[in-house]
Amino acid sequence: MRSAVVGFRPLLEVSLKQDIRNTVPWIALISALSGSSVLAFGWIFPDAASRADLTATVAANPALSLIFGPARDLTTADGFNAWRAGALGAFFAGLMAIFIVVRNSRAPEDSGQSELIAAGVVGRQTRLAVPVAMAWQASLALGVVASGVTVLLGGAVADSITLAATFTASGVMFAGVAAIAAQLGSDARSASSIAVSVLGVAFVARGSIDASAAPAWTIWLTPLGWTQEVRPAAGNTWWPLLLCVALALVAVAAAAVLHEHRDFGLGIIPPRGGPARGGAVVTPWGLAIRLNKGSLIAWSVAFALLGTVFGFLATTIGSLFAENPDISRLIAAGGVTEAGLVFEFLVTILKLVGIIAAVYGVQMVLRIHAEEVDFRVEPLLAGALSRRRYLASNVVVALVAPAVAVLIAGTVIGVVATVRDPSVRLDEIVRQAAATVPAVWVHVALAVALVGAAPGKRRAASLAVVVSFGLIILGPIFNLWDWILGISPFWHVPNVTAASPDLSGLGWLGLVATALIAAGFAGFRRRDIGT
Amino acid sequence: MQPVIRIERLVKSFGHVRALDGLDLDVLPGEVHGFLGPNGAGKSTTIRILLGLLRADSGAVTVLASDPWRDVVSLHRRLAYVPGDVSLWPGLTGGEAIDLLGHLRGGLDETRRAHLVDRFELDPTKRGRQYSKGNKQKVAIVAALASDVELLILDEPTSGLDPLMEVIFQEEIAAEKARGRTILLSSHILSEAEALADRVSIIRDGRIVETGTLDALRHRTRTTIHAVLAQPPASLEALTCLQDARLEGDRLTASVEQDDLSTAMAELAGYSLTALTVAPPSLEDLFLRHYGEELRPALAGPDEPAASPPGSPGGRGPAEHRHRADSPGTDDGGAR
Repeated sequence: MRSAVVGFRPLLEVSLKQDIRNTVPWIALISALSGSSVLAFGWIFPDAASRADLTATVAANPALSLIFGPARDLTTADGFNAWRAGALGAFFAGLMAIFIVVRNSRAPEDSGQSELIAAGVVGRQTRLAVPVAMAWQASLALGVVASGVTVLLGGAVADSITLAATFTASGVMFAGVAAIAAQLGSDARSASSIAVSVLGVAFVARGSIDASAAPAWTIWLTPLGWTQEVRPAAGNTWWPLLLCVALALVAVAAAAVLHEHRDFGLGIIPPRGGPARGGAVVTPWGLAIRLNKGSLIAWSVAFALLGTVFGFLATTIGSLFAENPDISRLIAAGGVTEAGLVFEFLVTILKLVGIIAAVYGVQMVLRIHAEEVDFRVEPLLAGALSRRRYLASNVVVALVAPAVAVLIAGTVIGVVATVRDPSVRLDEIVRQAAATVPAVWVHVALAVALVGAAPGKRRAASLAVVVSFGLIILGPIFNLWDWILGISPFWHVPNVTAASPDLSGLGWLGLVATALIAAGFAGFRRRDIGT
Repeated sequence: MQPVIRIERLVKSFGHVRALDGLDLDVLPGEVHGFLGPNGAGKSTTIRILLGLLRADSGAVTVLASDPWRDVVSLHRRLAYVPGDVSLWPGLTGGEAIDLLGHLRGGLDETRRAHLVDRFELDPTKRGRQYSKGNKQKVAIVAALASDVELLILDEPTSGLDPLMEVIFQEEIAAEKARGRTILLSSHILSEAEALADRVSIIRDGRIVETGTLDALRHRTRTTIHAVLAQPPASLEALTCLQDARLEGDRLTASVEQDDLSTAMAELAGYSLTALTVAPPSLEDLFLRHYGEELRPALAGPDEPAASPPGSPGGRGPAEHRHRADSPGTDDGGAR
């Protein structure tokens, strides 16, 4: 076994040095998530009355428990932190670990860099052991930094450390998942997709169990339920973390076995031949669709599944409202109706779907840049293809695909909900989904503007989606001003069932999206390609 | 005759680095023009400007009487390009990539496509990620040569090809030339340019330092001779037209200016020639004349005197240095 990891230490040192730039932002972001909630809690919810309000608001909105998990105690800063940062922090820690493992195992294999390493004096398992060790180290560092920052900003020591330990646990587990995915996928892109899908399924499973009236034991079905059952600031039960460690070890052992049986540069799934002739791929449009074919199928399936889960949720939340005394009182007073609250929930859920679709669309646009720096755009533009037409073919796909995804999710939500509860109207849900699309387009258009005119700043497009998510999901809880909330395009999406829905916001969104896309095209025409 | 490619005083900088520094280049219709220089001299930057991928900072560039930056589409219907480092779509087969690139240019000649796939022994059903470097290169070559275009721009097209395929490539390029196509062939493989090019331009630090037909350039370079003399002279003083002459027993090695060749032969005949080898100036000699001094510090002896300033235009200095550098420590004989 020893000889299998020869060269581990020197390779680890070099890799850590090179990768640290990519990892630090993740640790900073997740630590800020935890630290900021402790810091902000005292300012925004200074007294018992405001905290009681918060508890009532959160309880009335099952969409929040879908994302953040159950709110166990919103009267203390640490309890608030555990709710706001717990599920999200674990999710992001998992993403961080996945990207570290794939970036350092599969990606250098695609680029040929690993060939140089593998030809050196390194054991067979070293190239897998190093990325896993890197991800584990990063997860540990995350735990230390996040707890340190939170304690410094006023968090209770035991609660903050427990919360940060759940982040570490998630990172450690999903490093194992990514190690397996890196053996299954035939390249880095598919390896990431596999691992991120597993993380996504674990998260949605945890969310829908939390947001519905599912039996308590079901939470143990998803690994992200285990970290939640550690109950930071509400008991600090450490033993579920042992489950996480066990899962991580089993996953890494399985990955090592797969790695032993895999040929360099190939996945477990053997490569197949393909057509000898171009067929539909010979036009820029055909190429854009073909290059995105895999992700088009995968995302469509993912959105259909999301729609199914959310459709079920929409019909179970009625009972949650009935159990909540505050809401029952509101309904009895005639201020709101149960159907109105359910639809308000659907509006939020569809915005959430829209944000996921924006991630998808932005990714497709960023891929245009990846193709450019990989010198695959050069031979195309050396043909009789104008830059405008090249960009247009990709941008249209990046606009249409997420729009279709939102509509798929909306339709599935509607169908599932109407089957289970005939009082819900399918056409309203589909129209609401359609009204969400322009907000998605603004995010895609921002990515187009950056990739077209200022590719060096393209990361701002992804950041904008994160900001939009924070504003739309958390903004209302923090009672932020409208002009801040309005930064997120999703804030301008009207409720189509309102008496006279205000559609002017959609007009503005369309205008902004058009302007951004125009800026992207103008920039793309003027700048150097491939530099 | 209107040149197919005309570049005048072209300048392109990337940040503080001046990649092209007043480059001039003319490529005439129907010729194979060798564009020579080592890595980093500015060959690919020039070619990317010719393709409208990069924008020139200053200078005038015309390709097929069009502006490569403005008239991208109409111009690109008339030219084809092979990059030196072909990057294929990992999931697309070679056949798909060939058809895609051909279609973008306005269609492929089906017979040529079939012929070339066969000649280069390319399996078009493999996917981009499965191809070796040489096979990726073949995909780009087939796509370019199967197009019906007036101008071929080839940027180190044979990098990664095996010697057998290189021969086939040279034959196909000769056939393209016979069809009347103009070819700009960038290369650092001198034998390739020597075999194919009508004219060559040598680029150095973003400028063309030498341009002309191979014959004309050869004329400016000395021929190397090796002779065995039955009655060797006591001293080399008498052989006035030999340069860098060296006598070891009865063996004489020297170089001769093209114009002095007959005089040199006449002089040598006086010492009873028993064997004579004459090596014509190669492109390598030419090339090293411009780049030789960069090799000098590594090869030269420690007592080497300070040389003429680097880059002295068309100077003979560097070539002499190289000859001396070839035999460090030996006496020059003071033939001059």
